[in-house]
Amino acid sequence: MQCKDVEFVVEQEGLAPLPEAAQAHVATCSHCQGFVADLAAIVSVANELPAEVEPPARVWFSLQAQLKLEGIIKTPAVAARGARSPRWQGFSDLFGSRALAAATVGLLIVAAGVVQLRRPYEANVEPNGGIAVLPSQITFAKTAKVLNEQEIDINNMQLASTSPVDNSFRQNLQQIDDFIAVCERRLRAAPQDELAREYLSYAYQQKAELLSAMMDREGSIH
Amino acid sequence: MGTGKMNMTASWPLWSLPALRRDVKPGVLSLFGAAVFLCSGLTAAGAASQHIEKHFAVHTRPVVVIHNVANGRIEVKSWKNAEVDVVASQASDKIGFDIEQAGDRIDVTANVLDTAAQPSELEASLQLTVPEETELQLKTETGLIYVEQVMGDMTLESVAGEVHLKEVSGYIIVRTTEGSLVCTQCAGKLDFKSISGGAQVLQPALTNVSLFTTSGNILFDGDFVRTGLYTMKSGKGLVEVRFSGNDSFDLKAQTAVGTVDNRAAAYLKPDSHGVKHLASKFTKGFFGTVGQGLAKVELSSYSGTIRILKRD
Repeated sequence: MQCKDVEFVVEQEGLAPLPEAAQAHVATCSHCQGFVADLAAIVSVANELPAEVEPPARVWFSLQAQLKLEGIIKTPAVAARGARSPRWQGFSDLFGSRALAAATVGLLIVAAGVVQLRRPYEANVEPNGGIAVLPSQITFAKTAKVLNEQEIDINNMQLASTSPVDNSFRQNLQQIDDFIAVCERRLRAAPQDELAREYLSYAYQQKAELLSAMMDREGSIH
Repeated sequence: MGTGKMNMTASWPLWSLPALRRDVKPGVLSLFGAAVFLCSGLTAAGAASQHIEKHFAVHTRPVVVIHNVANGRIEVKSWKNAEVDVVASQASDKIGFDIEQAGDRIDVTANVLDTAAQPSELEASLQLTVPEETELQLKTETGLIYVEQVMGDMTLESVAGEVHLKEVSGYIIVRTTEGSLVCTQCAGKLDFKSISGGAQVLQPALTNVSLFTTSGNILFDGDFVRTGLYTMKSGKGLVEVRFSGNDSFDLKAQTAVGTVDNRAAAYLKPDSHGVKHLASKFTKGFFGTVGQGLAKVELSSYSGTIRILKRD
């Protein structure tokens, strides 16, 4: 068993009792010992909190939706709280009815962050061998959609302008679009290329800033 | 608060003439030619061109804000006086200047009054003389931004104009769309971002440098300050670093699909700090240490070339 397997087990079934194989690995791995200790400390603090009302169902819905959106979990959306997936049930059972919704939310965000940081790329391989969409690709897809819509609006506004500044904006926007396409092609071929991902992120950031500058200029000139 | 006056002649502080002569002596002939050309242009432009000069008394460390939406250059130099001198030149009356003082803040804005004006009618240049310790926020579209011998934090933004800095210090932020940066003998911290503009950092005394461009080239030619942090990244361009034999820095250079041109292999040793660097299988690059590895240098290019060499 390896670190990622331990994380998977914890994600699926909660902290205790860990399967024998996982315990054996944790006993020899300082990395996983720290991971388990961190989670145990959070659970312990949560259990010491006074009893509160059950978090409303919408909290579970929004949490699960957010975790799904970030690609951290991949179960089908639940129809009601009572129909939570076993994986989700495992986590919620850690706290029982005593946990505060806020503490639960905090724990899950921390745990999700830890898991995601420790295995940023494994999440794209489904247990059945299929390829899921990477969390970062989901983020970029949303960003790309918004920026592309803005780009169309800007192009429509500036269609008739031939000023040197507008030409410069258009040429540089084209350069950014070309570079984004290059990085995306690279990431499709090599999804684990961290440098390509980093440059793609920069490119989207620059595109957003450029579109903002173009809109500002439209506002100030016309 | 300021005393404004209008005149039709070029105005430049007398104190600066010796320094100007010293700086431009090698190119005096070309300067003279340019002056003749400009004068003929001014004559042709007719009576619409004009100069505005204003003086503002300030206390210590004023803040000067310039927003030039017209085409033209912004020059900022310093003097010992506790006064900000603003000279604005415009090619036509289709541009208006708003110049105001609020305490130690001086705001200068060039506005386009006629959106149907031709580009040649929208030329407006600004020459400022400020106290040595002054904070600057300058924004222009196509003209050169030139700042010399000013100490203070500054944010300089340009779309297509170049940014030239000489002997400035402070926290320097430069943003351009396609304008390039030339930073000579700068000190403090430098943060440059551009889409297609390049950056040249020459003989710096900068302790923190962050340069990023999508398609421009980057050149760093100078010493790395011990404990300094230097990050230089270009998406498609060349990233070149020329260091000296006395430098001391840890180096990390990587590219996704570009090339690494390491001409300093003789000076680079394996990392001496016991940190195990693992290169990604998707990138090419190298890690190494020059001297004791006191500064930290990170270079990357997605598809361009990274070149590192020792200066002669």
